[in-house]
Amino acid sequence: MPRTGSAPSRRMPLARWAPVLALLLAGGAAAEEGIPSLTGQPGDAARGRAIVATRQRGLCLLCHAGPFPEERFQGDLAPSLAGVGTRLTEGQLRLRLVDGRRLNPETIMPSYYRTEGLVRVGPAWQGRTILSAGEIEDVVAFLLTLRD
Amino acid sequence: MRRLLLALLLAGVVAEARESGFVLMSPETQAMQRDDTANPGMLWVEEGRALWDSAGCAGCHGDVAGMRGVAARYPAFDAASGGPIDLAGRIAQCQEARQGRTPFPRESEEALALSALVGLQSRGMPVAPPEDPRLAPALARGDALYRQRRGQLDLSCAQCHDANAGRHLGSSPIPEAHPTGYPLYRLEWQGMGSLQRRLRNCMAGVRSEPYAYGAAEYIEIELFLMRRAAGMPLETPAVRP
Amino acid sequence: MARTLINLPRTARRGEVIEIRTLIQHVMETGYRPGADGVVVPRDIVTRFTCLYNNEEVFSAELAPAIAANPFLSFSVVAAESGILAFTWSGDNGFEQTETRSLTVT
Repeated sequence: MPRTGSAPSRRMPLARWAPVLALLLAGGAAAEEGIPSLTGQPGDAARGRAIVATRQRGLCLLCHAGPFPEERFQGDLAPSLAGVGTRLTEGQLRLRLVDGRRLNPETIMPSYYRTEGLVRVGPAWQGRTILSAGEIEDVVAFLLTLRD
Repeated sequence: MRRLLLALLLAGVVAEARESGFVLMSPETQAMQRDDTANPGMLWVEEGRALWDSAGCAGCHGDVAGMRGVAARYPAFDAASGGPIDLAGRIAQCQEARQGRTPFPRESEEALALSALVGLQSRGMPVAPPEDPRLAPALARGDALYRQRRGQLDLSCAQCHDANAGRHLGSSPIPEAHPTGYPLYRLEWQGMGSLQRRLRNCMAGVRSEPYAYGAAEYIEIELFLMRRAAGMPLETPAVRP
Repeated sequence: MARTLINLPRTARRGEVIEIRTLIQHVMETGYRPGADGVVVPRDIVTRFTCLYNNEEVFSAELAPAIAANPFLSFSVVAAESGILAFTWSGDNGFEQTETRSLTVT
């Protein structure tokens, strides 16, 4: 039941129904909320690709394979990043990067933008997130371009 | 209740087929471990043979061949401390309490050499840390440490070595983490190292502060891992990539 | 004195080809690696290995920084006569060490 407005009747035009239909047709993933931009600025996809492809920065290729032909020995612990831009929305991608444990408490995906609840963090990393807010926006912008 | 669960857990691991990290190595590295004339760990064993005499072990223990079976039965219960003790700790304890000398420091070349020599005497024998009920609290702590998520990356040993053994972190196949070959020669280290050194590497890898060498936590983790590996053959001195 | 492991048969038939395996405990510090303080660690490697069989050189090798620590060298020799095999490793910082083994050829 909608929270606001009158109950729909058969005499309502299709346009009123379109957003609801679109949500239903998009499937279960659409029911999960994403999170909004961390910076309010659009991310840079080229910088994002550099972060993802450089395993010491993003760590991504240790677990994920993806469309990076110049990078050998990609891991197989996590789903491939190929096409992820078609499967997940910007908000959903951001949620998984920031704190994937909100979706799956058992995940091996590190939380790239969380410092609370961590145990015995090494001194070099205490109080720091794995990626900065701007870097996360860059990675999200890049992942959205992966549409194959 | 927790003890029952722990027993069931360990029984579950024992019931499944377990694999040493040896099987994940290239044929060349496996050949290096098998060949005592090429295994660099044997240099430390030879060092150990010299120390067995020069450091006075032979004075009480006689021929080192009498140490057969000893390394396979660690970590053991130590009456003096009321808790678990690993083989390196026992050697150090012997030097200090019974020889009245300063023990070789943890992870020193001499300590590794003696551990390698004594470990070699049990090579091929099944890992069999004693099922001493007095070790139960330490075993439970080791189990908890194995499952503790830690570091900036917030990962536990179990998440990789139980759930993802056989898959690949980058290029590296993830072993089941049975410490059957320590101390071992690691090609990455270009030298010999103990299980504690390896645990520290892993903790640094998840961006966690490692414990100091000799910490109780390492002995507890080792106790848990050796019980989990019970029955597998000891490989000391192993070679790993 | 670096620890060494040398393996060869004690006896051989005349004309038999024997395999000799050597291992020496020695760093092979490349000279390119920065230490924990960020300063490059100076090179410290074994640079040369020779085997003299009754004072005649029968095998030699030049080692470079790319070779791993604790270098393992294995080579074959024709057992011609009884005598002494002398193995010499030399390298940076004036490192030199010789080990000898006797071979009985029947």
